[in-house]
Amino acid sequence: MNHLRIRRKAVNFLALSLSLAAMAFGLFWLAWILWMVIDLGVGALSMSLFTEMTPPPGSAGGLKNAIAGSLIMVGLAMAMATPVAILAGIYLAEYGQRTLLGKVTRFINDILLSAPSIVIGLFVYAVYVANVGKFSGMSGAIALALLVIPVVVRTTEDMLALVPNTLREAAYALGAPKWKVIMLVTLRSAKTGVVTGILLALARISGETAPLLFTALSNQFWSVDLSEPMANLPVTIFKFAMSPFQDWQQLAWAGVFLITLGVLLLNIVARVMFRKVEQR
Amino acid sequence: MMPVDQSIQNLTPEISIRDLNFYYGKTLALKNINLDIFKGKVTAFIGPSGCGKSTLLRTINRMYDLYPGQRAEGELLIEGSNILDKGVDTIALRAKVGMVFQKPTPFPMSIYENIAFGVRMHERLSRSRMDDRVEWALTKAALWDEVKDKLNQAGTGLSGGQQQRLCIARGVAVKPSVLLLDEPTSALDPISTMRIEELIHELKSEFTIAIVTHNMQQAARVSDFTAYMYLGELVEFGKTDDVFIKPKDKRTEDYITGRMG
Amino acid sequence: MSEHVQHVIRAFDEELNRLRTHVLEMGGLVESQIQAATDAYHTGEIKVVADIVAADKKVNDFEQMIDDECVQVIAKRQPAAFDLRLIMGVSKIVTNLERAGDEAKKIAKGARRLHERGQFMAPGDAIDVRHVASMAVTMLRQALDAFARMDTAAAVEVIRSDDDVDVGFKAIIRQLVTFMMEDPRTISGAMDVIWIARSVERIGDHATNIAEQVIYIAEGRDIRHPPKEKKA
Repeated sequence: MNHLRIRRKAVNFLALSLSLAAMAFGLFWLAWILWMVIDLGVGALSMSLFTEMTPPPGSAGGLKNAIAGSLIMVGLAMAMATPVAILAGIYLAEYGQRTLLGKVTRFINDILLSAPSIVIGLFVYAVYVANVGKFSGMSGAIALALLVIPVVVRTTEDMLALVPNTLREAAYALGAPKWKVIMLVTLRSAKTGVVTGILLALARISGETAPLLFTALSNQFWSVDLSEPMANLPVTIFKFAMSPFQDWQQLAWAGVFLITLGVLLLNIVARVMFRKVEQR
Repeated sequence: MMPVDQSIQNLTPEISIRDLNFYYGKTLALKNINLDIFKGKVTAFIGPSGCGKSTLLRTINRMYDLYPGQRAEGELLIEGSNILDKGVDTIALRAKVGMVFQKPTPFPMSIYENIAFGVRMHERLSRSRMDDRVEWALTKAALWDEVKDKLNQAGTGLSGGQQQRLCIARGVAVKPSVLLLDEPTSALDPISTMRIEELIHELKSEFTIAIVTHNMQQAARVSDFTAYMYLGELVEFGKTDDVFIKPKDKRTEDYITGRMG
Repeated sequence: MSEHVQHVIRAFDEELNRLRTHVLEMGGLVESQIQAATDAYHTGEIKVVADIVAADKKVNDFEQMIDDECVQVIAKRQPAAFDLRLIMGVSKIVTNLERAGDEAKKIAKGARRLHERGQFMAPGDAIDVRHVASMAVTMLRQALDAFARMDTAAAVEVIRSDDDVDVGFKAIIRQLVTFMMEDPRTISGAMDVIWIARSVERIGDHATNIAEQVIYIAEGRDIRHPPKEKKA
């Protein structure tokens, strides 16, 4: 008896120590990254970030055009992708669960979900940018939209699948037709989950660099013309951070800090909303 | 024996089931069911899990339509027409035959909207007439006094027992002639259960009620007629008083007395 | 009928078996009480009367205990069908047994009065009463047997033989009335014998009631008050 008890305690201690060590290892890097971003980012923070354009090397400036460009493209991408993705998610969860079309769509969506973003960027470059002949904000938005769609399709389908069947049956039992059941009951009770999925997709694309490199490229100047190359935070950061100039590197850190802060906020909002879902 | 049969003859059947067979894919789940559900009476369906009692209930409002591979054969007559026919308007049928489920299923909307939801499927009512209907339904379900000051709050915020009464009110609001209750109290505490049982007793003056229950004592308490089902067959059907005091079939007797069959 | 399978809850079976056993024990006690009382009447061995009166206390205790057991089983198990009928039937059987026990006490006390007064009737009359009494005791025993085996045929037989006891009782009354008219000095003694005979007849009725309950338990048929046209 006693022997068993000691052994049990020893194994428990060992397992606990190992998992704590693993957690500490992971957290260490995360904390370091965050620390670096905050340390270098906060130092580079100033009002001029939001009021001035990206400067030529050696002179002072801000990220105004990059921030605006990012907001425009991300906003446009979300506007294009979300309705399509939600409708596709509804189809997969409510209409096509067992159909061949449903299965194929789900499979392709899963592939798209795990496709590297650079592939998406290259794809949009090949079918859009190469045909039009120049980089543009529009192509950037399209590339980002293509990244959003699989995420939102997936979460929408999953959240709808989580809605208990009894709720659907209860609505049908009152004589509701299918589309009303979906719009008024099913989708509504999955609402927070679906919105969480959208926020997570938003968080994902707001830091994407690769798809924008081949599409929106970047722009030194203020431009809101979607047919022209458009400045954006990730590519600017990429460009400035790789440069040998001190000012640019400073600005890159500031941009990194802004993106990190934005993504963090989005994650927190998503998490709070998700907790609401679970409490139900 | 004589007086019993006589009293059955004096009743009008609301639903007549004739030679009903039900299939889940290739599995025969209901075998040749013949049964009348009488107007203004409570009919309880009892039997071990998987005996087909829920399946029978879900046949009456064509709930099985939602699932491919499920089908019913035979006759299920309501007001003289066979509701198992292909061309039957299931939406109109479900306005006539309401259903309440095992777990309370309030919709993600306000208490008021929960009740109005079903009504809107079948009727266009002015705001004030809808208000009246909501109050009427909640009063019928003995919930009005508890929720009249919070009609705009979420239905999901109510207690389990209140939620189930909300679901009953929701069914009642459509003014069906039949209410199907599928184990309506199995997720509720004893006091909430008693409230629902009392409610069933109140409602039977206006609605024909069919209830599936795992609780034999509940069947004995709330029903006028009891049907015992076993392995997809209707073993015995009769007045509840007879079934619980002198069942005719040995299998019924073993089940209701808790013997190993 | 009823070869019943076990309940899923074993304790329920045990409780019902205990109930049956207690009824049979109580029945045996009442039976021997009646037997002893009629023996005392016949032989004049009135020393046993005190024992019979004392035994009645035990019978009463049995009645209370079994009724308690019935209430407990109902409260705990919510019996239905055969089980429910068994418990309701047992409760009534026990009441009838207790009353039969009271009648035994009355017979014993009557016998003591008769023998103390030294006014014992002619042997012929004693035999008549004793004959009817033994019929009543047999009825009671058969009713209890029928209960033990849930044998409705035996129960029907018990109910039928109550007519014989009633006929015997009427014959005794007729005989005693004749005695009293012939010789008024026999009136007080004859009255005691009439009371005894009446008790014997009541025991037959209680046995009949028990047999009726057995039929109700076994088949759910209530035959206590049959419609007029059925019974001749």
